[in-house]
Amino acid sequence: MTFVSERVRVIKASCILSIHDTFTTIRPSLWLLQIIVPSVFAMFFFYMIAGVANADQDFVVIGNAVQSIGMTTIYAVSGIPGVQKHIGTMTPLAISPSGLFSIFLGMSLFSIFAGFISIAVSLAFATFVFGVSMASVNLLSVLVVILLTAFSIGGISMMIGSIGIYMRTSAIIANVATYVGLVLCGVNFPVSVLPGWAQTIAYCHPLTYAVQATRDAVNGCTVTELASPIMMMIVLGMIFIILSYLAFRFFEKLSRKKGRMDVF
Amino acid sequence: MNIKAVTSSFRQQGIQFLADPQWIIPSIIAPFMFTVVALYMYSGGGELDSPIVLTAVLGGGVLGMWGNMLFASGFTITYDRYNGTIEPIMMTPTHLIDVITGRSIWNALIGLLNAILVFIFAELIFGVGVSVSEPLFFFPMLALTLFSLASIGLMLSALFVLTRASFVVMTILEFPIYVFSGALFPISVLGKLEPISYILAPSWGVDAMKTAAVAGHESITAFGIYFDVAVMILLMVIYIAAAYILFGVIERNIRNSGTLVRY
Repeated sequence: MTFVSERVRVIKASCILSIHDTFTTIRPSLWLLQIIVPSVFAMFFFYMIAGVANADQDFVVIGNAVQSIGMTTIYAVSGIPGVQKHIGTMTPLAISPSGLFSIFLGMSLFSIFAGFISIAVSLAFATFVFGVSMASVNLLSVLVVILLTAFSIGGISMMIGSIGIYMRTSAIIANVATYVGLVLCGVNFPVSVLPGWAQTIAYCHPLTYAVQATRDAVNGCTVTELASPIMMMIVLGMIFIILSYLAFRFFEKLSRKKGRMDVF
Repeated sequence: MNIKAVTSSFRQQGIQFLADPQWIIPSIIAPFMFTVVALYMYSGGGELDSPIVLTAVLGGGVLGMWGNMLFASGFTITYDRYNGTIEPIMMTPTHLIDVITGRSIWNALIGLLNAILVFIFAELIFGVGVSVSEPLFFFPMLALTLFSLASIGLMLSALFVLTRASFVVMTILEFPIYVFSGALFPISVLGKLEPISYILAPSWGVDAMKTAAVAGHESITAFGIYFDVAVMILLMVIYIAAAYILFGVIERNIRNSGTLVRY
């Protein structure tokens, strides 16, 4: 019990500190702008291409609203170890008894929450700017799907971030992961048009289920009707969180052994 | 302009890039993926005709050049802040804009490499058979478009000196140019927003490139490629003049306020 409460305390403290850090560097309005502008422009960009290509624009707008989490959460969470290296705090954190996983999990929570905000705001823009009909939307389903999207993408982001403890940066892998999601996960066109091997990868990525489940929730599907994608997001999210825990331990040990804590 | 300072900072930027060249990967990935998405969307899962493929691939190249210019311009100043070198640079008799110009020229060359890599990957992976109808026009247009993007980068660098949240500004500015340059779709579909494209030099560059490369491309105006080039050059001159004025004002202000090294 003491171990668990100690971990919870570390996670909470790291989370609070990371929020203070964020808003010391940038104003809340600028932070919000950073979330809204790229998401809206990305939606607009692909909405226009869809218009020229005679594709379904609602399909593209909802897909990109969900994909906006990639730009918000994957980058921010996976970049945390790199930032700590850059400002010289990685070694002090590593020698504390708290363990890097708990500290970075706490630091990630705010960015995972930001991903939730990003999808919610983007869906609002999808309705009010791009005219996506929400006449039959099931709000509870949308809420559940967005929460689980943030959770599962948070898991992937933590796993990518762990690489940053050993390597000079995880930003490049985060970049690849974000944009691969754009192509493979049915954001702008159905997964079915992809080659077989790409579809296999797509169905191992929670974003594929998130995008489809959001479209279904907007069309009125209930939580029960979305049980299958919801379960897949929970399972994949859990797998990625466990993998990220193991990856953190592995890279922390490797980094200590090879003396790469401060290499950036 | 202090030519020696420009060439030295160009060389220094080159050395820094070659010491850690992996950073070219992010600025290739995004435009390449956008090109792939555009190709899939235009094809609808079926066959593609060559003008659309060429338009998408050229557009992807322009996105690549812009991504590289924007992030390189932003990080140029940010890293000086992080590394504590911005104050020594400001203390030298060389103007900051000369240092930044040298770096921007290097970034522009890498942007060109970036665009070429997007073309090559598109060719290798999709076998799209890209062929340019007027190569003698196309390559100068590609270079001019690149320098038009570099002139925007130079102007933005002045803003990056002002703010410690340059990463936020870079993130905000990435997509608007993708949208308004008409790289992956014609600007005529922008409707009421189309005039925004007219004040962006890269839009004219993209139009000139497509006119030179894609047979049957409908230009922005009826005046042809030379008009595109003239407007692009005029806008570039305006951007560079604005950058000089901005740098002068900002340099004076930050010396007075003493806020340069806040990050």
